[in-house]
Amino acid sequence: MWIDRRCLDVALVVSLVLTSSSFITRTSSLSVTVNEVECVYEYVLYEADTVSGNYVVVDHDIFWGSDHPGIDFTVTSPSGNNVHTKKGTSGDKFEFKAPRSGMYKFCFHNPYSTPETVSFYIHVGHIPNEHDLAKDEHLDPINVKIAELREALESVTAEQKYLKARDARHRHTNESTRKRVIYYTLAEYLLLACASGLQVVYIRRLFSKSFGYNRV
Amino acid sequence: MSSRGCRGGWIRYLTSLALLVTSSFVIWGGFVEGIWLTIPASGTKCVSEEIQSGIVVLADYYIVDDDHAHLRTSSISSRVTSPFGNNLHHDENVTHGQFAFTTTEGGNYLACFWIGGQHQEAAGLTIGLDWKIGVAAKDWDSVAKKDKIEGVELELRKLEGSVEAILKNLIYLKNREAEMREVSEKTNARVAWFSIMSLGVCILVSVLQVAYLQRFFQKRKLI
Repeated sequence: MWIDRRCLDVALVVSLVLTSSSFITRTSSLSVTVNEVECVYEYVLYEADTVSGNYVVVDHDIFWGSDHPGIDFTVTSPSGNNVHTKKGTSGDKFEFKAPRSGMYKFCFHNPYSTPETVSFYIHVGHIPNEHDLAKDEHLDPINVKIAELREALESVTAEQKYLKARDARHRHTNESTRKRVIYYTLAEYLLLACASGLQVVYIRRLFSKSFGYNRV
Repeated sequence: MSSRGCRGGWIRYLTSLALLVTSSFVIWGGFVEGIWLTIPASGTKCVSEEIQSGIVVLADYYIVDDDHAHLRTSSISSRVTSPFGNNLHHDENVTHGQFAFTTTEGGNYLACFWIGGQHQEAAGLTIGLDWKIGVAAKDWDSVAKKDKIEGVELELRKLEGSVEAILKNLIYLKNREAEMREVSEKTNARVAWFSIMSLGVCILVSVLQVAYLQRFFQKRKLI
């Protein structure tokens, strides 16, 4: 009996905490270097929140870039289920409805030994529904509309971050191409000159006195 | 969480209360938004972001309390470096810290964390990092107090700030794309020019070869 009453207080405190934080949106955007597995955790406050985001593998000067298989991406819910998986890509956008609240694990797995840098962006968006409206008298229907507007703007921001990351990857490739064009062409010219010089030296030696030119 | 605690006895209730306290600390303590990272027992964990110049960066980091023993003996150290190698922030052996700066140059900003202190953990440590840049780092509470706005108007102001940030990002992306397009077109022209020149180099070298060998054989009176 006594424990039940305490439990009620706990439930009250929890609901107070959760409803007062109804305007909080969670956004994280960063880059990490993935050696084998890198996991990032993000807390989802409410069930049925939309978790959206994107990730891009920023080119790490791999020689045969197009042959690289990409990295694997998995999202694990707090109960251990696999919510979202994408294998072997160099970047993707994702969106899913969180089946429950709690700490979600976003993991990048690099199947190859070369370390990769992954730039990711995770956003947890919450739109108050009628249930939240009924619970908290401070929430008007206008707050729902504002939350929807905020989520729409967040999706634009997310798209921009994705474009920025893709642009960074493209820029790496461009820089690499520019450097390769200059250095490999210079190396090619030098090698050509060396090869023909070696040819001349060899022919000279063929006709030198120590060989005896009537042998040729 | 609360229903689980209600069903069981004392221990379960205490566990749920501890979880509640932890979660409310996380939610109320100001460390609301942010990701958790695991720091390996040895080595550093670094996160980076490419930021343009003139952006406010605000970050908070703290050790996540998995069990109370960790909180008492472990500490983390951090270092933040600018793209040109300047040390923007350096902290040793703290359980939580924060740093704030305005970027002066555009580039890759790196924040590295490692387990400092004498007590070497056998397993890694989990830290929470709250990293906010640009409009998300703006202190809306002080703006609300200064302009005496609240509620719906404050939310709309935040949305307006968000829209301005989107516009700035769009212009930035456009400029970056223009720079990259110039580099691409220069590379394209160079590929064409260098390939034709390689043909020229080939012909030149072979002409030199033939001329030299002719002179050589004439000197040896073989021709």
